[in-house]
Amino acid sequence: MEIINIFFVIVIAPVIGGLLFGLDRKLTARLQKRMGPPILQPFYDLFKLFGKGRIASNQFQLISVSVYIACTILSLILLATGQDLLVLLFVLALGHIMLILGGFSVRSPYSQIGSQREILQLMAYEPLLVFMVIGTYLKTGSFLVSNLMTGSYKPLLISLPAFLLTQIIVMAIKLHKSPFDISASHHAHQELVRGIYTEFSGAQLALIEMAHWYELILLMGFIALLWQTNLVIGGLIAFACFLAVILLDNISARLTWKWMIRFAWSFGVGISVANLAAIYILR
Amino acid sequence: MSNLIYYVPLSIILVALILAPLVFAFVISIVRSDYLRSLIIIMIAAVLAISSLILFARVTITHQIIHYAPGLIDWNLLVTIADFGLMAMFIRMGVRRKSALILVFAVIQTIILAWVEFGPKHTEMAYPPIFIDWLSIVMTLIVSIVGSVVAIYSLPYMREHERHQNLTISKQPQFFRTLLLFLGAMNGMVLSGNLLWIYFFWEITTLCSFCLISHDETEESLRNATRALWMNMVGGVGFITGIALIQFNKLPMDASRLLELVRTGNEAHIIALLILPMACLCFAGFTKAAQMPFQSWLLGAMVAPTPVSALLHSSTMVKAGVYLIIRFAPIFRHTALSEMVAIVGAFSFITGAMLAIGQSNAKKVLAYSTISNLGLIIACAGLNTPLALAAAVMLIIFHAVSKGLLFMATGVVDQSIHSKDIEDMQGLWARMPLTSLIMVIGILSMLLPPFGVLIAKLAAIESSIQNPLVMVMLVIGSTLTVVFWTKWMGRMLATNPQADGRKRENLPALYAGTLAFLACGAVILSLFIKPILENLVLPAVANYYNVAGMEMTPTVLSAPWLMIFLVIALSVLAPTFFNHLRSSQIKPAYLCGEQISSRAATAQFLTVADGTAEMTVRSYYFEKVTDESFHVKWVTIVATLLIVILFGAVYLWK
Amino acid sequence: MNILQKSRAKSPWILHYDAGACNGCDIEILACLTPVYDIERFGMVNVGNPKHADVLLVTGTCNKRSARVLKNLYDQMPDPKVVVAVGACALSGGIFHECYNVLQGVDGTVPVDVYVPGCAPRPEAIMEGVMMALEKMNKR
Repeated sequence: MEIINIFFVIVIAPVIGGLLFGLDRKLTARLQKRMGPPILQPFYDLFKLFGKGRIASNQFQLISVSVYIACTILSLILLATGQDLLVLLFVLALGHIMLILGGFSVRSPYSQIGSQREILQLMAYEPLLVFMVIGTYLKTGSFLVSNLMTGSYKPLLISLPAFLLTQIIVMAIKLHKSPFDISASHHAHQELVRGIYTEFSGAQLALIEMAHWYELILLMGFIALLWQTNLVIGGLIAFACFLAVILLDNISARLTWKWMIRFAWSFGVGISVANLAAIYILR
Repeated sequence: MSNLIYYVPLSIILVALILAPLVFAFVISIVRSDYLRSLIIIMIAAVLAISSLILFARVTITHQIIHYAPGLIDWNLLVTIADFGLMAMFIRMGVRRKSALILVFAVIQTIILAWVEFGPKHTEMAYPPIFIDWLSIVMTLIVSIVGSVVAIYSLPYMREHERHQNLTISKQPQFFRTLLLFLGAMNGMVLSGNLLWIYFFWEITTLCSFCLISHDETEESLRNATRALWMNMVGGVGFITGIALIQFNKLPMDASRLLELVRTGNEAHIIALLILPMACLCFAGFTKAAQMPFQSWLLGAMVAPTPVSALLHSSTMVKAGVYLIIRFAPIFRHTALSEMVAIVGAFSFITGAMLAIGQSNAKKVLAYSTISNLGLIIACAGLNTPLALAAAVMLIIFHAVSKGLLFMATGVVDQSIHSKDIEDMQGLWARMPLTSLIMVIGILSMLLPPFGVLIAKLAAIESSIQNPLVMVMLVIGSTLTVVFWTKWMGRMLATNPQADGRKRENLPALYAGTLAFLACGAVILSLFIKPILENLVLPAVANYYNVAGMEMTPTVLSAPWLMIFLVIALSVLAPTFFNHLRSSQIKPAYLCGEQISSRAATAQFLTVADGTAEMTVRSYYFEKVTDESFHVKWVTIVATLLIVILFGAVYLWK
Repeated sequence: MNILQKSRAKSPWILHYDAGACNGCDIEILACLTPVYDIERFGMVNVGNPKHADVLLVTGTCNKRSARVLKNLYDQMPDPKVVVAVGACALSGGIFHECYNVLQGVDGTVPVDVYVPGCAPRPEAIMEGVMMALEKMNKR
């Protein structure tokens, strides 16, 4: 069972993730009255990038990308094998910080500013994720995903409704979607060029892209956990959230980092804490 | 082997741990030869480390807590006399530094001490003053090993330090005298059970910190040392008041007896009597651990030579503060005091991290991070569950190693680039590869998996769930922590492309040795966190609460850490060794094509009139949001209020 | 055609550099991005960063000053890469041909694979040029 889960994570997850990103580009194009690229476009991009000649500025970039993707896959494996959610979050954070350091390792104004802002993105979403994990702990008495899945609890969403909202915010921040595309954005260029990704190219960029696919599946997995009794419904909710993030991306403009922090820490943390407080009081 | 350890007499171990550093402190203060001094320091370091390990082995094998009364002379009398001697020194310092605050607090302490010593004494059994349990062992190991490493590191550092000062007479004898005195006093403090002994050693550490901070005798260092002294004397007043109250309530003046009374006796009655003294002791702990609003002495202490900071922040001084609180934590479990201690600690945790974000001085960032981490430890002590205490003890261990390492590395960098500013450390990765690698390991070990500090932090968050307010502060504080560490690492890593590969770095052997020792220590301790927890931390806690091991093993430990460790190690090592960039693959950073040449390893670009300009990058410090003077003001006010509320809560709780 | 070649053909990321154009050609390139032409349906993306780019689209007369920048950008692109010169000026200097500061055409600075003539060329022609360049890249 473990082996199947791990296999599923390593092989199937990026396929689904890639397709979802293809869907994202297609939907965004349709919302702008364009034809848009084929759904398989992310895969074409990926294979092409793997086939590019290697250029880099220093050895550390290679290390940072390797740790980034390893940690992302590892955290998805931890989720799939029912491990500790809190540990998972910080393994994910390790990968993310290594990517940021990779961006920092080149003295380019674009990747430097991108990395600085990426720290802020990390700072904005991290507490929201931890609060959600604490919320699940309060309902189930354990950080273990396996415990959550096997125990006979009502769907968590009923008692933790605020976390659906915060997870949408987290997803938008993590995927660099407007209005949170502050450190880099997925399409169209901006004043930061590609922000934190500017100095990565070829296979390194391909690995980062793949890590994003894993990350998307991971985030959707988090949302699916909110309806842990039936993962099909959970998956559908996660998919709906993904569509909501795409819509949000298309109807909003980029805002400043100050606004992002203020929004995530006042609204996001606010509703998280309110929800947790409600559980404490009703307990 | 085990028999051998058992037959080393306890008295010899104690002499080696406490008396030897004290005696050699005076020997070294008259030794003027560099060579001889190095020899003595290295010897003492070895003796300390070995004796602490023997003590650890002995307690592990016998599974017995040690009560011990040293013989030969009346040690209690000696401590009493020395205590008054110390007070006289404090008064003299107050007069010499013309500081009314020091004078006032010294006089108050002397009066209360006199009352305790000569006032109405209730008949009391004489308890053996030495009390060694697992918590003492943990502390002794840290003091004796990390402290010794810092002492050895100081040898080349102080030589270099004095080379820049053009002194006619070397002040190294005094420096190393104080250093050894400090280590001996710390060992004495953690190994004693008698409150008056603890108080005595506590005051010695206060005195030593004053001497070390004022070592350079510049105006600034004297001013900061004076502040450190009076702030710690406020704590001293709290401490002796606590002792006086215990005496007044006719309770035993002995830590182990107090803990035993609470564990077995008619608890409610005794706790009601003990809670106010305990609040006083916690207050003393706050001052020594530099919790808000007493943070300013620790920040001022950074004017001292870097080994002093390494010592104060990692293994001694501030750890004495948290030790005191943890030592008595079970006594005030389930009281309002416990809740308030948790809140005060959590408040320091979050505000320390917040203030660190706006700093560009490396030592200041480290100082705020220490305050923040000690806040976390105190918050754990306040949460006061077996799990939380286990987290606190783990944090003490891992924080000591990582913070000592970071300060020492900062000192090495400072002596090489003559700046403590993080902005000046830009590109250190290329200039000082070994030191910056060690520094990055040190920083990573402070905040990320699979390192011990993070695992302990997760355990702390897990145990904080029973206390929502503290939990929210811990979560937000951990996030803030990530910001300043990542910025710092980013600065060091920001290099220009090096087509000719990285340079080699020549570090003096003692620097390289001590740094590498602690860096390996940070990694290896984290790798063996489970055995450490089972053999060192859990016995310390179990002894406290009478609980079985299961209840306090944090669930985070059940995660597949070995796999995580392996995956991370592989993903770091594989591209390091098997995927080397060829020089033709190395390209300069993207500067809109305006860089002066496509091969140049600089970040220069062409500007108007064919001039060249260097591209400069800098960290974000969020100056408008993180203005230190503004935040320190409100933090001080809120923290003072919290302490007032703490005493109010204790009063009302009665 | 193997999967790598197919991917290359279907995912050209474009870096556009204006070496000194009157902006006529640039406007036509931007027109390609609009919903009317929508180059993204061919997987083309305007990346603005040589380290990510496959195709370098150069417009305008290359002069002595911009030649250096153009060379730097070309150097920073990872292999395999192709260059498309867009518009009369990029091809030969155009109406600026005789100017003292102009290098006649960008092919003196970087190796050009496809020449798209016109003043300014139509968006369809530009897209066609990129497609031809990709074919050429895959045949290499």
